[in-house]
Amino acid sequence: MSTGMLYGGDEIGALVFDPGHHSLRVGYAQEDTPKAEIPAVVGVAPDESFKVEPEVKTEDGNVSSKPSQNKYYIDTTFLHVPRANMELHSYMKDGMIENWDMFEKILDYSYEKIIQSESQYHPVLFSESPWNQRQKREKLTEIMFEKYKVPAFFLVKNAALAAFANGRATALVIDSGATHTSAVPVLDGYVISNAVVKSPLGGDYLILRAREMLDSLKIDLTPAALISAKDVVREKDIPRCTRKKLNFQPSNSWMTYMMKRTVQDFQQTVLQVAESPYDERFVSNIPSVHYEFPSGYHQDFGNERFKLAEGLFDHAMLGAGHIAATSAGMCDVDIRPALYSSVVLTGGNSLVQGFSDRLSRDLQSRTPGSMKLKMIAANGTVERRFGAWVGGSILASIGTFQQMWMSMQEYQESGKSQIDRKCP
Amino acid sequence: MASGVTVSDVCKTTYEEIKKDKKHRYVIFFIKDERQIDVEVIGARDEEYDQFLTNLQAGGAGECRYGLYDFEYTHQCQGTSEASKKQKLFLMSWCPDTAKVKKKMLYSSSFDALKKSLVGVQKYIQATDLSEASQEAVEEKLRATDRQ
Ligand SMILES: Nc1ncnc2c1ncn2[C@@H]1O[C@H](COP(=O)(O)OP(=O)(O)O)[C@@H](O)[C@H]1O
Repeated sequence: MSTGMLYGGDEIGALVFDPGHHSLRVGYAQEDTPKAEIPAVVGVAPDESFKVEPEVKTEDGNVSSKPSQNKYYIDTTFLHVPRANMELHSYMKDGMIENWDMFEKILDYSYEKIIQSESQYHPVLFSESPWNQRQKREKLTEIMFEKYKVPAFFLVKNAALAAFANGRATALVIDSGATHTSAVPVLDGYVISNAVVKSPLGGDYLILRAREMLDSLKIDLTPAALISAKDVVREKDIPRCTRKKLNFQPSNSWMTYMMKRTVQDFQQTVLQVAESPYDERFVSNIPSVHYEFPSGYHQDFGNERFKLAEGLFDHAMLGAGHIAATSAGMCDVDIRPALYSSVVLTGGNSLVQGFSDRLSRDLQSRTPGSMKLKMIAANGTVERRFGAWVGGSILASIGTFQQMWMSMQEYQESGKSQIDRKCP
Repeated sequence: MASGVTVSDVCKTTYEEIKKDKKHRYVIFFIKDERQIDVEVIGARDEEYDQFLTNLQAGGAGECRYGLYDFEYTHQCQGTSEASKKQKLFLMSWCPDTAKVKKKMLYSSSFDALKKSLVGVQKYIQATDLSEASQEAVEEKLRATDRQ
């Protein structure tokens, strides 16, 4: 059985890209996990090697300065090194690709370093947010066919992929990522766009709150990349670490990003969502978690663990349970029972300890009496974090799916707007 | 968005034999070679619901299936002492939690094709475990639409 396209008798695997605010997941279809998870930021620094070049004389004799040349730094190993004048840029906005030039740098890198093969040989499946705009979908289609010369292309809503990967064609998908949490009703594999509800409370919000708390405790958050050595100190003692000697000041954007990563590790290790609305009296006897920062400072965290995470649920309008119920309520009465009985949980931030139990409880109390609530949350962290990617990986490798692609020929004949017909 | 998997004619004729002729009680469908939905088992008219469940799960915990069933129950009309016999056709997709993601993906993304081919089914049910597929659970779902 064929699992890919045939080119000159060779079977060529399709590629799957799943862009998010936290990272871009990229890899080969049919594989269980993405080949790489690339942070969704690009480091840009002036390329020193160009500075020494002489000025160029133009035909009319004017001296024009050479266009400034930049060097780009992509992926953890290159980003996590302090560099003079390196600024970090995000290319995502509101769940959609915003800065195409930066995004192309990431794609170039993906083909060159991760896939290590030429783009013209591999069909490409992209996931997209449920509210992606028409003009952005067409732009991506154009870039993939024109610049990368892909033989075939496909776009699928990430929520539909996550629902399918969890065995449901109809579901209410709760996706909690870095910058937002969304409730997305999917009916027979298609998103009901006008009933999607979003909240800005995701992983980044937890990082922000954790950062405020850590700052108020005056905890040193120097990122590991700036520390060359540290001594062992007693709990809560002032850390003794040696900072790397740099002859420049790292940019603010780099410092912000690196400190965010530091707090993110803290957040993922320490935070937990309480089973029911947070009440200091009940959680005081829950075990605390010991955490050591890159500086060597360490201490126990108790109540804070729950207090910080509570923000994901206790907000009257933006809590995860509330947006789920609101979204279901915006759908036709006839399909509501099917949605409540198929709540699919996905996204990295849903892995915060206790998230699924709390959502389940919260939503139970909002489920209409005549309906049954059933929550489906993959146990594996890979499936939860990469739910959409995994779904895309399988879809793109199904034999019969090969006829669904938008081909290069179709693009040449009908143009980029064809994507709206092929992938509604 | 769909997988492109098609539905064999046998599925449709078997369905008509149940719907029109009441010839069988149920039918189990499977996806053959990842290409086409086909008939796996046909249940005789006098078979019990348990046999349907057994056949639905015959592939083992790692497998998914579809099942169509001609379900009968008695309906008590409100305010009267009369009870009427009801017959309803339901179509179920069976994707247990234990199934491989690949199977879940294949079956869920092909369900719509089957739904569209079998015209006249009264209820669609997605089930991942017996709490959703049992006779009681199914009956409850079918009755829910009677009350309106
Ligand atoms: N094991 C984990 N525990 C808690 N949070 C996690 C875990 N893994 C990832 N996250 C959080 O999930 C978020 C990223 O989720 P993801 O679904 O990848 O987002 P996006 O689609 O926006 O890239 C980040 O905020 C990250 O901190």
